[in-house]
This record gives sequence, C-alpha cells and structure tokens, in this order.
Amino acid sequence: MADSSFMVSASPHLKDKDQMSNAMRDVAIALIPVIAVAIGFFRLYALVNLSACVVAAIGSEYIMRKIMKRQPTIGDFSAIVTGLLVGLLLPPTVPFWYAMIGVIIAVALVKELMGGLGFNVFNPALFGFVSLLLISRFWALANANYSLGSIAGVTSATPLTFIKAGALNGLRPGYWALFFAKAGGAMGEVSVLAVLLGGAYLIYRKRITWHIPTAIIVTVFVLSAILGANPLYMILVGGLMLGSFFMATDWVTSPDNKTAQLLYGVLIGVLVVVIRLYAAPTGAVAYSILLGNLATPLLNRLFVRKRFGAIKAVVASEPAVKAVAVSEAKD
Amino acid sequence: MELKTFRGGIHPPYNKEATAGKATEDISLPVEVIIPMQQHVGAPNKPLVNVGDRVEIGQKIGATDAFVSAPVHSSVAGTVKAVEERKNFVGANVTCVVISVDPNQPAKFTQKRDVSGLSGDEIREIAKEAGLVGLGGAAFPSYVKLSPPKDKPIDTVIINACECEPFLTCDHRLMLERAEDLVAGLKLMMKAVGAPRGIIGVEANKMDAADLLNSKINGESGIEVVLLEVKYPEGAEKMLIDAILGRRVPPGKLPSEVGVLVQNVQTAVAMYDAAAYGKPVIERVVTVSGSGIKNPRNIRVKVGTPISHVIEQCGGMVGTTGKVILGGPMTGFAQKDLSAFTQKGTGGVLVFTEEAVDEAPEQQCVGCDRCLDACAMFLMPNFIVKHARRGQWDLAEKYGAMDCFECGCCSFVCPARIKHVAYVRKSKAELAAAAKKS
Repeated sequence: MADSSFMVSASPHLKDKDQMSNAMRDVAIALIPVIAVAIGFFRLYALVNLSACVVAAIGSEYIMRKIMKRQPTIGDFSAIVTGLLVGLLLPPTVPFWYAMIGVIIAVALVKELMGGLGFNVFNPALFGFVSLLLISRFWALANANYSLGSIAGVTSATPLTFIKAGALNGLRPGYWALFFAKAGGAMGEVSVLAVLLGGAYLIYRKRITWHIPTAIIVTVFVLSAILGANPLYMILVGGLMLGSFFMATDWVTSPDNKTAQLLYGVLIGVLVVVIRLYAAPTGAVAYSILLGNLATPLLNRLFVRKRFGAIKAVVASEPAVKAVAVSEAKD
Repeated sequence: MELKTFRGGIHPPYNKEATAGKATEDISLPVEVIIPMQQHVGAPNKPLVNVGDRVEIGQKIGATDAFVSAPVHSSVAGTVKAVEERKNFVGANVTCVVISVDPNQPAKFTQKRDVSGLSGDEIREIAKEAGLVGLGGAAFPSYVKLSPPKDKPIDTVIINACECEPFLTCDHRLMLERAEDLVAGLKLMMKAVGAPRGIIGVEANKMDAADLLNSKINGESGIEVVLLEVKYPEGAEKMLIDAILGRRVPPGKLPSEVGVLVQNVQTAVAMYDAAAYGKPVIERVVTVSGSGIKNPRNIRVKVGTPISHVIEQCGGMVGTTGKVILGGPMTGFAQKDLSAFTQKGTGGVLVFTEEAVDEAPEQQCVGCDRCLDACAMFLMPNFIVKHARRGQWDLAEKYGAMDCFECGCCSFVCPARIKHVAYVRKSKAELAAAAKKS
C-alpha cells in the first residue's frame, strides 16, 4: 500500500476544456476582417509589414523566454496577436524593419521583461506603437517612406487631420466612406465595419464584454458634441474603434469589476477627446488607453464587488470570521 | 415551464449516465469498520467503549455534551479492536473506534411505528440521538439546524434535491427508491421548526424523481416540488434559497436569518428512518464512479467502511489510477492512498484514470474575469489569490475570502489553471488565527 500514491491536489478535480491559447486564438480570428481589409487595400505593403511583425513577435518572445529561463509560450498566441496589432496601428508605408522595432519593444520589454503575460502594466502593442511615434521625432531614417509599388490611398491624407473644427470641410471624407472603407492613416483604421465585426465576434465568444468599448465610444460622442466637435466624425476616425474593442479591452491591463470597467471607459473617452482637440490628434487613442492602463490598479482597489447578500459594498470581516465555525458550505 | 436558478455558476460535464439508472445495492461487509469520533462540524465526541467491548448495531459509541455536535453509533455488530488515531479523508488525525465485524449480523430497525403523533420537541430529540447531520457532505449537526433562534422563525423547509455535483447519483436514486419516506421526512422537519411550507428543489435533469415526488405529495397543501436549472452549484445552500425564494442570506449568516431551513435528500430520509424505525445514522447511499472504476454503482455503505473495500466491491480499479476522490469532483478530497474510510457525509467515491486527470501547472492570472462571472457569491477570486500569494490576508478578505464556500467554479473556468480554493483555505486559516489572537 505504501507505494501506491495517487495524485493529490486541491479541489475542484474537473477542468473546463477552454485554455489561454483558445482565447488568444479568438482574438486573432477577430482580427481577420481588419487584416483582410488592410491586405485588400495595401497589398504587398500590408503583407510584408504584418508578416514582419509576427516574425518579430515570435522571435523576441522565444529569445526573451530562453534568456529568462521560462517555459516557452508561443503556443498561447499572445505574441502573435501583439505583433499583428502593432502592425495594424501603423500606416502601410512605414518601413517593415521599423515596425519590427515596435514589436520588439512591445513583446521583449513591455511584456517579457515585466514577467510575461499577466504581469505587464501597459498594453504591449500600444506601448510599442507609442514608442515608435516618439522615436520617429528624433530619428529621421524612421520617417523615410519606402515603395513597394504605387497603390491608391497609400499616401492620402489621414482623415484624422480633419477633426479640428473648421478644417477644410470640403475635403473631409463622408461618414459612410469611413464606416465601410476609407484608406489613410493606420492599416487597422481603414474600415470601422471590419473592426465592429471582430468586436462582435469577441463579445459573442465571451472574450470581452460590451462595457469598456461602449463607455469609450459613448463618452467620446457626448463630450465631442458638448465641446463643439463633430461627434459622429470623432468616433469614426483615428482607430477609436480598433482601440476600444481590441486594446482597451485587454484582459491584463483593464479593470476587473464591471463598474470599474465603465469608469475606465469614460476616463479613456475623456482623454481621447481632450488630447485630440487640444493637443495632437495622432496617437490620441493610444496615449489615452495607456494612461487608462495606469489607472487600472487604483480602479481595482476602489471598486470591490458587492458580495452576495451584502447590504454594503465591503462588509466588516470580523463577524464573517466568527461565523465560519458554524456556517455550512453545502448541505 | 421556467426553471428557477441563481446568478453565476458553471455548466460542467455531468457524467451521471454511468450510475443514474442503477438501483442501490447492498455490498458485503468489510472485515473491520473504522468509526471516527468526529464526522461533523463542531465538537468531537469522546469514545464510550473500550478495547475488547462487544458492540451492537446502532449502539452509541461516541458522545459529548457540546451543543454543536452529533453522537456516533456503531454501524455493525462486533468487537472493539482498537481505539486509536487514524487519518480521515482530509488527512487529519481523529480518534477512531475500530471494530471487528461479526460474520453474522442480526436484523435490526425493522419495527415501524407511526410518526404522525410526534411533537416538535420529540422530533428534535430523535434527530439529536440518531446523530443526524447534513448528509450532503458538510455534515452540520441537524439538531442545531432544527433548533433555530426564537427571534428567527422558520417559514420554509427546503429539501436540497439538486445533486449538482457531477458523477454523483446517490440522492437521485434515493428519491426514486424512497420518495414517500422523503416526503415524510420533510414533514417531520417542518413540524420540528413549525414551518407551514415545504419545498423540494430538484434539478431539471431528474424529471423522473420530480414526477414521482409530485405523485407522493398528492396535492397536499404546503408541500411542492420546484424545478431548477441544471447548473453548478445549484445545490449550495445560499444559491438554492435565492433560486427558489429570491431571498439572499447575508454574508456570514445562516439560512435561519431569512426564515429558511435547508436539508439534503439523504438527511430527510434518515430523519424519517430515525423517527419511524429508531435507526441512527449508520449507513448511507454512496455513488462509486469515474473512469477508473470497473463497475460503477450506487451502493449502501456502513459508516466506517474502508475505501479499499468499497472499491473492491465495485470490481476494483482499471487502468493507471490518477486520482481517488472522496465526495464529488468539484468539492471532494483527493486521496493519497486507500487508507481512508467512509463517514456520514461521504456521498461519492470516485476513481479517475491518469488520462482523465487534467492537471496543468499554474500560470499567471491574465485578468480575463471569468472567475468573477462564475462566482455565485459575487466575489473576486483572482484578487483573493493575488493577495494570498503575498500573504496579505486582510486584502484577501477584502475581495471575499471569508465568504467563499469553495465550490470551485473559479478554478473550473480559469484559463491560467489557478487553484483558487487552495489559496482561499489558506486565507481563511490565517484570518481565523489572526482573529483568535486579537
């Protein structure tokens, strides 16, 4: 009998089949419409840049985990998703090697150096993208456009430039064009519809909930109207949709309580409008979500779920401690 | 018809097919039984017998004067072989009376008497003397539950007939085989607490039992069967009360706070047996199942039967054994070996082959919030774990450690494979120790 030792672990002894990789694979699937639109519009530009980003993501994760002596996690799809998102945040004409630098920053520094998936404070893709924005201000080579053939729309002005009141209203693209497809700006912000399809899939698969995207979009709409900007235009341009559905909803860097998530969305929405109207429109959504990321730990501490049967949000612990001796879990 | 339910919870694979259609059977007697002096929540009993003593079936062999406790009885006729410490199914040392079983057991508790004339006080006394405890697993002394505080009158007695734990079918079988006695047991409990209303809450995957119970109730006023959604943990006391009556028991309080008494199916039948036949709690129905069991069955098992004997009576183990669990797969305890023994609260003996055990290393929480959505108590399991890992027990409690009843839904859904329940148990122990010190 002494040698017959069975596995011992805490209950429960049953496990859902769902795993981390399934979730990240769903995010990758949700990105298919956005990627398809990008490739449809920008052809080789999109293919080369997105492939380069995925290679950089997988490579930097593999090397970092080797160096830090951690289990390889390529199988969880998270690096691939980060690579794709950085690529989609950039315009098609950005040199592929420059895009790869952004991905390396995202995966190697923001994610792996912080301890790996789950330990990161900032959304890796957004941090990588914002780093590139900053570097390009000091490094002329980064701004050198390169050519993979001439394609319509590749070099047209980004619709984002028209959001300030009174700016060249005649040249401004129409709402329906923006909704279906309008090239200009980042590869991921061509079609609002494509982003919404992906977002709907994520909600349907229960990977995200409606709370954060809705709070951001409603806040941007309402605050823009109050401040005299065109509210509809504000929510249709500049990757607001992409950021709301794919990056602000990032599990790791967003709050966990639903109430806190709503407040988090409102905070991001306010920042988007303020930065766009009173500072620089480019990267406003990215900066806003990263600042929102910083507020997440505080929001998690302030908003504790109201327990089953509780009158107040947080109950005193002492009576609960005493009652445990006579409280019955299950009968 | 709309099924009642609670908010949160999960839908695990139920796997009840292997035994649901199998009638309860008797098994051969073991060579010895090991009867622990503590099988319940509360104070342990003191042994009333010595080595060498003869004991009869149903003889009281352990008792104490403490209020929250329940006496224990010999489940067999035999001779006391030892009074010693043994490890029980959770690995704790408890004083046990070990009895050599006589080859011939006299028939007992066959004389039936009319129970309709019993008073509330008499019923309570019967429950106490019979060592009646919650047979759903928690083993809380029924006598205490049947004696609610004067200022908190009970208006409804609920029979927990959910059996929401996967694999287990012992309650289902008992409902089919002893429906009439179950209703009689419910009536006794209603009388004991003076409740005008009795409800049997059945999950909708046991329609045969629900129909049968309805026919036995036969339109009697005050008693009804309520159908519930098939969801885990529908049979958790607080969830059940919320689902059926829409009343929520406040944190740290008992069901009497909202005027309810909840008892499990086997407890109600045992109540009837105690009143009608004078039979203490000395045996129960146990489901033996899982991929590693040759012949899954529902069997009647004497309290104190060695697990090895129970498994042997079901054809033994097949394949490479991965886990042996006492109780259900969601809340039961994994066994290191087969040296443990059944108790009053043991409803299941499950054996899983290595292939059926899904153990993966814990990863970092990614904040997917699936544990929050699954938690029926509306706690924040990921934050309890986060702070328990750092030894911040007060913060673990801020996110709900003390209100967790360890149903395991959070771990079931967790993509990072975190064993929340282990952290919760540690937090509770630390918080209780800190409360004692201050």
